[in-house]
Amino acid sequence: MATTSSSTSMAIPGQFLGSTSKFQPGPGTHIHESNLYSSLLGVVNITQPAKAPGPAKRLNKIINTQTTTELPTISVLRSAGSSDKREVLPEVGNIVLCRVIRIMPRQAVVAILICGDTVLEAEWQGLIRVQDVRATEKDRVKIYDSFRPGDIVRAEVISLGDQTSYYLSTARNELGVIMATSEAGNTMYPVNWKEYKDPETGLSEPRKVAKPY
Amino acid sequence: MSTESPLVVLPGESIDPSLIPTHHKNPLRLGPGLRHIPPSEIVPTVAGQLVVDNRKTSMWIEYNGGRYIPSQNDLIIGQIVRSATDFYYVSLSPYTPNATLPHLAFESATKKTRPQLSPGELVYARVSLANKHMDPELECVSPSTGKADGLGPLKDGMVFDVSLGFARRLLMAKSREEGKVEVLEALGEDGLGFEIAVGRNGKVWVNSESTKTVVLVGRALRETDEKNLGVEAQRKLVKKLVREMR
Repeated sequence: MATTSSSTSMAIPGQFLGSTSKFQPGPGTHIHESNLYSSLLGVVNITQPAKAPGPAKRLNKIINTQTTTELPTISVLRSAGSSDKREVLPEVGNIVLCRVIRIMPRQAVVAILICGDTVLEAEWQGLIRVQDVRATEKDRVKIYDSFRPGDIVRAEVISLGDQTSYYLSTARNELGVIMATSEAGNTMYPVNWKEYKDPETGLSEPRKVAKPY
Repeated sequence: MSTESPLVVLPGESIDPSLIPTHHKNPLRLGPGLRHIPPSEIVPTVAGQLVVDNRKTSMWIEYNGGRYIPSQNDLIIGQIVRSATDFYYVSLSPYTPNATLPHLAFESATKKTRPQLSPGELVYARVSLANKHMDPELECVSPSTGKADGLGPLKDGMVFDVSLGFARRLLMAKSREEGKVEVLEALGEDGLGFEIAVGRNGKVWVNSESTKTVVLVGRALRETDEKNLGVEAQRKLVKKLVREMR
């Protein structure tokens, strides 16, 4: 059983925690020249390693499974509570839900709100380039017919991108706009893969619609 | 065909239902300046003259605004601001975002034979994409046929500013009857040779072999616009200007 001894010491980013010969790095820490430093402002947690079971018995031999003594893991967590609450960051391959902020002729700028199942604490910026909107006929995509500002989009992270934004893609059937509002201000329902319809005015607007429609 | 007495409406006014054209088959079409609030309200959003066309079952508002708002398929005169990787930035009016004009949106333009336009040059273009979320995009070639049809760079000549309403009247198909604009015909009848291009964004480009003609045409247009001259007054103005020139 792994035991967690919570020392009530606080750490600031850049603070020296220990050396790699004594501890293993956990979340919230980084290694620099064989030393562990804190990356976050938070509470320092030291987790003792799981005690290995005794030597396993086999028919012929007795094998000693505990090869090396494991080092305790040191981690820095923002909230003083349980170590389950971790900072979730979008990784490559995650399905995220985002809201379209701005559209430009070659890309759509979105704010990533939900990663997988967790609501993110901070809004990360994402970019959907015009060649990542659809899988077919990539050169004839019009951003204005695929997204509008305010739409909720399900997308996949394809790259961690540069300083400002992640790169996202909607080039699959189940990715695309899942919720849209019409020009008149009413919530629309999807008709097919490229249209949303306003029930009150009867007008339809073009979007890149996600599959359950 | 417009109504006999011009009805001026203000934004938010309610429209007399007897004026709305009805047809048993054709749906009512609303033009610029009118907004439909379901189920049955039609509300003007600008101040101007309400025009009703019973034959086409359509209604719209003629108004003279101050700021040009691009809409699709408008013909405009723009000035090149600078050149980017794949397109030119074109200014349609001051203090608004620039429109983009792709390098290849000219007649028979390929990657090797692109027109070389420098900042400050004028182009006569059509608005290919305009909406409230993005900057407008232009093209100098007809999308269906691939021919220029008079669009493209404008060489020499001079540009005059006119009001938006006057530019619209100049561009009307029947400018003499509906737009009450006869100044161009009158100038042509008096033997002046010139070529002209009208942009919906309130710009008129005039070119002629003699500079005096260019200035004369520009003055005639400006005065017609500013003083809101009627057809007779336009003829008199043209005669006076031609006499002064000679």
